[in-house]
Amino acid sequence: MRTSPITTPLLEAQNLMRRYWMRRGAFGKATEVRAVDGVSLSLERGKTLGLVGESGCGKSTTGRLVLGLETPDAGTVAFQGAPMPAPGTAPWRAQRARMQMVFQDPLGALDRRLTIGVQVREPLDIHGIGDAAAREKRVLHLLHATGLRPEQAERYPHELSGGQRQRAVLARALATDPALLVCDEPISALDVSIQAQVMNLLVKLQREFGTAILFISHDLRAVRQVSHRVAVMYLGRIVEEGEPDDVLHSPAHPYSQALVSAIPHPGRGGQRILLQGDPPNPADRPSGCAFHPRCPVAFARCSQESPALTARPDGRLVACHLAHEPAIARAA
Amino acid sequence: MLRFFGFRLLRAAITIVMVVTFAFVVLRLSGDPALLIMSVDAPPEAVAAFRTAWGLDEPLWVQYFKYFSAIFEGDLGRSMRDGRPALTLVLERVPATLALTIPALLIKLCIGIPAGITAALHRNSLLDRLVMALAVAGFTIPSFVLGLLLVLLFAVQLGWLPSGGQESWRHAILPVITLGVGGAAVLARFTRSAMLEVLGQPYIRTASAKGVPWRAVVWGHALPNAAIPTVTIVGFMVGSLIAGAVVVESVFSWPGVGRLLVVAVANRDLAVVQCILLLVAATMVTSNLVVDLLYGALDPRLRSGLASAPKGAAA
Amino acid sequence: MSDVAIAAPAARRFRLPPTLVMFALGWVGLMLATAFLADVLAPYSYTALDLRNRLAPPIGFGGVLIHPLGTDELGRDVFSRLIYSIRMSLLIAFGATLIGAALGTSLGFLAAHFRGLVEQCVMALVDFSASIPFLILALSVLAFFGNSLTLFICLLGLHAWERYARIARGLAISAGSQGYAAAVRQLGASPWRNYGRHVLPNIASTLIVSMTLAFPEIILLESGLSFLGLGVQPPETSLGSMVGYGREYLTRAPWILLSPAAVIVLTTFSVSVLGDWLRDRLDPTLR
Repeated sequence: MRTSPITTPLLEAQNLMRRYWMRRGAFGKATEVRAVDGVSLSLERGKTLGLVGESGCGKSTTGRLVLGLETPDAGTVAFQGAPMPAPGTAPWRAQRARMQMVFQDPLGALDRRLTIGVQVREPLDIHGIGDAAAREKRVLHLLHATGLRPEQAERYPHELSGGQRQRAVLARALATDPALLVCDEPISALDVSIQAQVMNLLVKLQREFGTAILFISHDLRAVRQVSHRVAVMYLGRIVEEGEPDDVLHSPAHPYSQALVSAIPHPGRGGQRILLQGDPPNPADRPSGCAFHPRCPVAFARCSQESPALTARPDGRLVACHLAHEPAIARAA
Repeated sequence: MLRFFGFRLLRAAITIVMVVTFAFVVLRLSGDPALLIMSVDAPPEAVAAFRTAWGLDEPLWVQYFKYFSAIFEGDLGRSMRDGRPALTLVLERVPATLALTIPALLIKLCIGIPAGITAALHRNSLLDRLVMALAVAGFTIPSFVLGLLLVLLFAVQLGWLPSGGQESWRHAILPVITLGVGGAAVLARFTRSAMLEVLGQPYIRTASAKGVPWRAVVWGHALPNAAIPTVTIVGFMVGSLIAGAVVVESVFSWPGVGRLLVVAVANRDLAVVQCILLLVAATMVTSNLVVDLLYGALDPRLRSGLASAPKGAAA
Repeated sequence: MSDVAIAAPAARRFRLPPTLVMFALGWVGLMLATAFLADVLAPYSYTALDLRNRLAPPIGFGGVLIHPLGTDELGRDVFSRLIYSIRMSLLIAFGATLIGAALGTSLGFLAAHFRGLVEQCVMALVDFSASIPFLILALSVLAFFGNSLTLFICLLGLHAWERYARIARGLAISAGSQGYAAAVRQLGASPWRNYGRHVLPNIASTLIVSMTLAFPEIILLESGLSFLGLGVQPPETSLGSMVGYGREYLTRAPWILLSPAAVIVLTTFSVSVLGDWLRDRLDPTLR
């Protein structure tokens, strides 16, 4: 279906679907909310896939699905060629050593009653890796690799700065040397000045540990900085996927175009595409292409037929009727 | 709204069924009622006859269903001591108890709520500390101690009031005060914290920052919102009108439901105990239901609070 | 945003608590010491009779030196009985508080962990116990099962279990959906590790405050039931049963019930003050 390499990718997700039931008001009937609606993605060893979209587009849920923290309602996730065990079971727990998550809020993700050192060591304790001395050595190595000082192992989370906490979370996530790291908005809770440091650290750690990363963010620029490929999500679906620089320089989907134009650029005023209409609501998905009510170039077909994510001649995956038939675009 | 009512009704019904089941299970677990009632040396034929008469020889689930249907027909068994219907025995005592608990409830409301509001409005003042000290004292003095102290003072030392019995309205004064003081203390503490909670909310600060007179802020914004949690505890007090005076009735030899309960427990008169248990639970559940519905009227947010917004769906 | 979080715990400096709290601490300490050292402190056994000194008043009211707080109708030393009663009442209250906290917390964790049907069952039980005044429930159980000390302690342990269950469930769910517990779970930790090593220590201060607030209520319940003659049974003695038996001599020998009554009031008052103080310091969110 897609241009995949000859070897099995580390992570292969096919047609993931995740529904929730939401009831509005006391009278309201339960409405189905498709948080994730047919997402397929694959990730190779040591590479980074960036997942971009505004809040509510299902990117975090996608992250939880590929980690196996939630079970998809439809579709499959294969990690190193094997299907995911059910959450909470012993094999699932054992698999956690191979895949880890980094959270948006490092203070919330750390136990405020335990020292950093104890928490960085905890995955080793849980999975019974090495003896006491080896674990201590590993902790020091991880602290060093993430740019923390050895004495900070004795500190409690509230005694560290936001950036240091995120480093600690990264150190903990890398303790078992996982093959996959899902970073869910890892920098958006940090000060702008710290964000770049953490991004650079992420790139450095990937080189050092050879970890594959699924990088989830609403910030296209941040994604480009770390990713080998980038996928843009809108209302539970991937609408465009390609090389980061290509997507950023010549976005093919109207939504990606809007995202790119929203990036502030010195000396390029007045060219921003302002999205019209309400922000997307997963509980009230428009017919046809979910983006059409806000799309500046939508035409009749867009409200009836949902476009499939297919490859253009240049290899870019786009889900838009126009992107594949530029002639109509000009006519419209 | 209808869904809200339905949900609450269902919960109330489940609770009642649980109470009935609890009574049945405990009754059956506590041993063979036949041997419990008859003396140990009763002839075996008499015990057998008793079993048949009370349906104790049938399978347990048949007994359970019979038990259930009997209760809904208002048959709560007979007092195992004097053979009168337990329900009649209990209902006879209800007016006496209400004669104590209703005036006491009025005292609680008239003292507790204003005291709590005043304390909250003058937070950390001498008045606040005084009210709170009195409230903690009122809450920590057990009713039997307070009752006996009042008897010692007003009946024994001063001789102003009778120490026990139910002959005239003067006999009710000491028990009513005893009941009222503890409840007023609880209510004052509760009202104060509810009020302080509300006063700390941003909308109160906004209202007073906008220049709304403080009096109007208190009456228009703070009190209605503080009323919501306070209604719960008042509901609990209303619900315990029938059985809220167990200890006090014993202290003052007041022939109410509580006194009956204590005597029945001491005599292991299970039908009467169980009848009181069910009656109290029914009152309590009804009063909780009314509180819940009042909640719905006071706070529209709670009606839609049933909406199960999935966490993570929006992230 | 994150800087606020740094400041808060660091600002917690040690200050001497207010006078009332100091008094409460002192009183609770005295009571604990009395309970532990009862055998050493009590001049007589709590059943020892002194028939020559029946209904002797305390010292200062014409009493004899050997019975500082007077004697009861059988000439039993009120001071000694008081000491043993303190031990009994505290033992019951501690046991019951611990049982209630353990039971409630476990059920709350179960509800939070399994959600669904288990949670509904736990919440139905919470509804159930909130719908009957505890005294009535306790009296019914005592009527049905008779009385023994173990049953009595377990029964009082049921008091307030639903509070711990609510707290534990609520905090565990919030920790599990977003915070550290979710993080630890995805590290591969077993539920035992997650709840035992992470959730429980994190909510411990809230639970301890709740226990401190429930403790005086249990003392009041115990003494109330014993006062009615349905709690601690003779020859054992507790503060409530002392008041109950002393009641018959209210006019002739009020000292029999006044000293245990004073101990009950002072103890519940002190523990309540401590509880309020702890709550304000450790967990202002709890009310």
